[in-house]
Amino acid sequence: MNPKSSKLQQQQKQETTEATASQQMAREFASPEEMLRHDAGQTEVPPALARRVAESVAQEPRHARSWWQRWFSRRSPDS
Amino acid sequence: MATFVSTAAPVQTDFPPTTGRPKWESPEFGAIYEEHSRQIFYLALRFLGDPTQAEDATHDVFLKAYRKLGEFRGESAVRTWLYRITINHCKNLLQTWHQRHLVNNNEDSLWENAVAGTESPLRVLEIKELGQRIQKTLDLLPEEYRLLLLLVADQQLSYDEIATLTEQSADAVRGKLHRARKAFIAQFQKFA
Repeated sequence: MNPKSSKLQQQQKQETTEATASQQMAREFASPEEMLRHDAGQTEVPPALARRVAESVAQEPRHARSWWQRWFSRRSPDS
Repeated sequence: MATFVSTAAPVQTDFPPTTGRPKWESPEFGAIYEEHSRQIFYLALRFLGDPTQAEDATHDVFLKAYRKLGEFRGESAVRTWLYRITINHCKNLLQTWHQRHLVNNNEDSLWENAVAGTESPLRVLEIKELGQRIQKTLDLLPEEYRLLLLLVADQQLSYDEIATLTEQSADAVRGKLHRARKAFIAQFQKFA
């Protein structure tokens, strides 16, 4: 096998691999809001926040159920 | 049409690991939290520009929402109602903290001149910290532009709802949104 040819093939393979990796990493956005939408999707709500809100809500005095609470109750059989 | 190319790096946070699902006093309210907390937190995060303050704000918003449940008459969607509380809360915080002095002049004409050359397509490669770059860009925009872009990014909101939330006409929203996009692109390019 021609060593020069082999080296060329190896170089071409490496370039192809790098180009593929670059394409996999890159992401195109058509507009700022599309970028923000993606960013929002990548942003996780701090896990401890739900518990913190739930604890604060538990300390609140109970109030009359509004129309939507009654509506939700009708839709959800286990609530 | 502007095109951004970036790496899709996940947002890095310093928040503690999951501590289990909370037990909600009101399962209905828990369902509301589960459905809308991501968007509310994201709006607060990018509007305020600080994860800790955004977490506090999101907590306060949902607590306010819980207290005002009796007043909610369903004239708007729940998310729109939550957004209204969030916007008012965050604006009050910004006014109190005086943390945003990077852009002191919000006159539209100045921004139109500043971004006049950004109509051509742009291409940016290799953004390792997309979230940080977005935040830097938003921090430099007038508050109104920042808010419009964040609201329009939520596909559940119509222009009419955004107009109501920002107390202006839908036509005004469209016009300002056009300038907000241009301003965002111009600033985003600077952090390449």
